[in-house]
Amino acid sequence: MTVTTSALEEAVRVSEAVENEYVKRWKEGGGQVVGYSCVTTPPEIIDAAGLLPYRIRALGNPNTEIADAHLARFNCSFCRSCLQLGLDGTFDFLDGLIETNGCDHLRGMFENWQYVKPVAFFHYVKVPHQTTPEAMEYYTEELRLFAKALEAGFGTKVTRPKLKKAIERQEAVRSKLREVYAMREGDAPSFTGTEALSLFLLASAMPADDYLALIDRVIDERSGTGITGYRARLMLCGAATDELELIGEIEDVGGLVVTDSLCYGARAFWKPIRTDLEPIEALAELYLKEMLCPRMYEDFPRRRDFVIDEVKRAGVDGVMVMHNKFCDVHGVDNVQLRLSLEKEGIPVLQLEKEYGSKADIGRIRTRVQAFLERIGDRS
Amino acid sequence: MSGSAATLTEILKPEGRAAPGLPGDAKEGLFDRVSSLFRVIDMLPDEMSDEEVEGLMGVLPDDARKSLTAMLIPRAREGSLAFMKCLSIWLDEAKRSPGQGRKTFLVPFCFPPELVHAFDKGFPITSEVLSSLAVVALEGQGERYYDMALGIGLPDHICSSNAIEIGSMLGSDDFQPQAIINAATGSCDINAKTHELISLYHGIPQFILEKTVDDSERGRKQYRRNYLGLIHRMEEFLDEELTEEKLRRTCEKVNVCNELLAELWDLHKNVPDPVPNLFSLYTYGTRFSMWGTDAAIDAMRAYVDVSKRRLKEGAYPADREVARCLLTYTSYYFDLAALFNWMEEQGYSYLGDGLDLLFPITIDTSSYDSMVSGLAEEAWNMPMTHQVGGESMSMCWLEDALYSAKDLGANVAIYSGHHSCKQTWSVASIMREELMKRAGVPMLVLQGDSWLKRTTPIGVIQEQIDEFIKNVVSEKRTGKRKIRRRLEDKTSDSPSPREGEGRGEGAVL
Repeated sequence: MTVTTSALEEAVRVSEAVENEYVKRWKEGGGQVVGYSCVTTPPEIIDAAGLLPYRIRALGNPNTEIADAHLARFNCSFCRSCLQLGLDGTFDFLDGLIETNGCDHLRGMFENWQYVKPVAFFHYVKVPHQTTPEAMEYYTEELRLFAKALEAGFGTKVTRPKLKKAIERQEAVRSKLREVYAMREGDAPSFTGTEALSLFLLASAMPADDYLALIDRVIDERSGTGITGYRARLMLCGAATDELELIGEIEDVGGLVVTDSLCYGARAFWKPIRTDLEPIEALAELYLKEMLCPRMYEDFPRRRDFVIDEVKRAGVDGVMVMHNKFCDVHGVDNVQLRLSLEKEGIPVLQLEKEYGSKADIGRIRTRVQAFLERIGDRS
Repeated sequence: MSGSAATLTEILKPEGRAAPGLPGDAKEGLFDRVSSLFRVIDMLPDEMSDEEVEGLMGVLPDDARKSLTAMLIPRAREGSLAFMKCLSIWLDEAKRSPGQGRKTFLVPFCFPPELVHAFDKGFPITSEVLSSLAVVALEGQGERYYDMALGIGLPDHICSSNAIEIGSMLGSDDFQPQAIINAATGSCDINAKTHELISLYHGIPQFILEKTVDDSERGRKQYRRNYLGLIHRMEEFLDEELTEEKLRRTCEKVNVCNELLAELWDLHKNVPDPVPNLFSLYTYGTRFSMWGTDAAIDAMRAYVDVSKRRLKEGAYPADREVARCLLTYTSYYFDLAALFNWMEEQGYSYLGDGLDLLFPITIDTSSYDSMVSGLAEEAWNMPMTHQVGGESMSMCWLEDALYSAKDLGANVAIYSGHHSCKQTWSVASIMREELMKRAGVPMLVLQGDSWLKRTTPIGVIQEQIDEFIKNVVSEKRTGKRKIRRRLEDKTSDSPSPREGEGRGEGAVL
């Protein structure tokens, strides 16, 4: 189905490693790496401190035996999987860890990580669940405190010019991701969903300048190419999904993922940052007010409208709303989303899954195959 | 972005009243069924003889009979009747509210209802209290409503204490509130999300009270702002000003309730514990529904009076108090006899559970500001809000549990492991380790659903508690491990340690 080219091959290969060669090179050059997980954490502030922002991921890791001694089986398997990698040494390259109250499971993950195997620098960014003026004011101050904490912890300075520069760099990265996503909207998309996820994952796991150089090559290579022969165009919505293999399975049975509103996806870059505000205020606006996450309250209509718009823009045939078992925020939000989309006449597959579970793949394939049967056959 | 012309309610709510996938006929809802049952209870006299109790049991359906048999056990009867009277007033007031021009607010248990009581035009109904009443009093224990919630596609890992009540609201022709106070934002995702779903589904306004997960002065200040913002939104919604006089009227009653609560807490410190195990449930059942009203004062006074009398009489249902148990979070509510009463008959005193961690204060009633600050502090200190809604879920929860364990002389901690409680589950291992390290209190980790009997049968729970106390706590009471004791027995002629020797600081047996 795909035509691979060298730059894309390199990007996909690099994205499959947790500690990739760019991270290693950064560390070898004396650089320090700060890990964060939640999409409400602005990497710009870490970048402005001269540190490498790295988004924690588990890449479908199915093993959780160490983590299970701390988190419970009633906790989301994505968080257990990330904790596993934190405790088994995979994330030992991190010099700092940033907690946010993204969800209850995530908080538990960070607390156990720090309890069992503390990372030298640890900071908690407290993120409100609303966008009232009071909440915005609080979050803006939280971001200032975040910058100060990095300054104190790493002996660096987050100046206004440095922050502006970091914002420009990260916005350039986000802009490229929007370009990649736009290249999937046509009848013959330039990227599969798996490739797009790889490109996304890489964007938050390597220095921005290196990424921009690589992604430009990938985009050049893929311009004018197109994928045909798929059965249906799918949109993915729901919980944290950095599982390349899972998207691969969905595409293997004929569904082509052409867009998403995922946490590891469009949610992180869909909106350009405002340039008419003070840098810290612009970040607060982008990472809280514009956040399309079910952790936010009184905001469901915006999330629904985003999905409906994407369905239209990308010519989506059916939407898959997924959540990892025990994920509360998506577990409930997905019901609302399913009912809303069905009312609009958009076919929906609501799917509960275990993160990274090989045992779950067969069941998921069957559900997706049945869904594809239902929504038609473009091929 | 494109907006949909239809309202959210129209989108989410299908034709008619019933939820998708369910029969279209309206069904009798939880609230209506529970309040009908309580109309009967309201007719009961303040004191009942054994014969009268027996007569009552003859006309009740099985599940209600089972619960009432547990509640009307002689040692707890007076307190149980007081509790039921209090709830009867609560349900009746809620039912009559629309006719009296009052709007009802659906609130979660972690929100102090006294703020709503302070308004003339508002009345609180508490989600989890309703669910618990369904489990205790209704035939089928509310499971039909839980199934209704799952019927619209909600996952089976949502909290049954919310699912039962909201299932009724989603799938039946039930009494409905006019607004929702969503106060679990920051402390429990599933609680907050399910209440938001109800708001969207029925088009009921939702007022958020976000708990800042920030224990600094800045975080507290922000929470007070949020609390004040809630008051203003309620005033607007009810078209009523919350005057200083109204606040004082309620806060003075809150202070009386809090004083009685503190007295009951102190009574628990006695050995054996003179407070019947069931009173733990009654205390927070009262706290979550009618706090700041005369009905709550009457109920609390009854719990204190009964306990004082029992202390004076040296009454205890077992030969001796074997264990002093602190349940670190929720309890099990689907079989009161087989948990609360059974424990006390084994000599296992129930000092309280996580929902009893209420930390009452005396509200300064001198001014409007002092009262609002006091109420906000009460809200900050509520169970779940203060613990897993704290800056560190593990440390805030541990801090409360440690304080309680030490203050009450607990020697056993039990985590019920309510399966939906992801926050506590995620840090339960830290709690277990630190409780042992810092207070020498071992914690039993159970797995079950606090409101659904179908998950773990009560017999299994009994067995695990029993085994744990006999094998871990009783051993610990001798202060020596088996192997060492055997060695000593072989090398020394000295008599075996007597019961009660060798216990650590804080042990009271």
